[in-house]
Amino acid sequence: MARGFRLSSELIAGVAVGALIGWGVDRLLSTSPWGLIVFFLLGFAAGVINVMRSAGVIPEQKDR
Amino acid sequence: MDPIHQFNIEPIFTIGHIGGQEIAFTNSSAYMFLAVALTSLLMLGTGRKLVPGRMQSIAEISYEFVADTIRTTAGKEGMKFFPFVFSIFMLVTVSNLVGIIPYTFTISSHIIVTAALAFLVFFTVLIYGFYKNGLRFFKLFVPSGIPVVILPLVVTIEVISFLSRPVSHSVRLFANMLAGHITLKVFASFVTMLGAMGIVGIFGAVLPLALVVALTALELLVAFLQAYVFTILTCIYINDAIHPGH
Repeated sequence: MARGFRLSSELIAGVAVGALIGWGVDRLLSTSPWGLIVFFLLGFAAGVINVMRSAGVIPEQKDR
Repeated sequence: MDPIHQFNIEPIFTIGHIGGQEIAFTNSSAYMFLAVALTSLLMLGTGRKLVPGRMQSIAEISYEFVADTIRTTAGKEGMKFFPFVFSIFMLVTVSNLVGIIPYTFTISSHIIVTAALAFLVFFTVLIYGFYKNGLRFFKLFVPSGIPVVILPLVVTIEVISFLSRPVSHSVRLFANMLAGHITLKVFASFVTMLGAMGIVGIFGAVLPLALVVALTALELLVAFLQAYVFTILTCIYINDAIHPGH
């Protein structure tokens, strides 16, 4: 259960932060809805990278 | 019977007002002070004998444990951060263990507490990283051996991944403690509900009672494990501040 919690929180954190940045960009530059769309997808990618790093599928940053 | 009543914040006395907002000493602050007091008692009040007693052994084992964690994840230079990491580990561990005792309050079941700790780590990494490495700290976001064409995309993703660290760092501890304590409360209330149903109910109540006992043991494991996970992630992030982009 701890492992599942860990991986899911990594994914959700990536997506949430990406969506938040996209929303902020839209607010500041009034580019709605493109900022949200683009950063949501980038956030998804970041979340997947987080999950793969914490699951040990790809090495942590220091080993590259 | 309300399973989330245990997370209520109740003011004990008022310290003062800042901008019309009441600043109160709450039960949460009281349990934070209790965790600090227990830690101080463990570290200071257990003697320095050559042959350690029980409490002194616990103090020594907790020192060795955190020191080993830092050495293996962040290397020798990471020991500079030993007081910081040890304080976080002891605060989270002791408050989680206190929180398992019935009728107590678990401070890490509030996201504001874990988020404050996670942001403390995040800003420590950010400030120390820039102080130690200067602009070379940005190497953290630029993986080596990436074609220039997709570099902007990769750097954006890495930055989002870096910014999402305090979120997942805090949510993990918070969600584990919250979910565990609610589960315990719900199963414990099944015992009293079934117990009120007469003779059949009392025999039926044995099942949830056994589950509550088992869950308490599991919670003990989770309390320690989550404190350990929080500490080891702190070490990994500090390692990034010390050696970015190796």
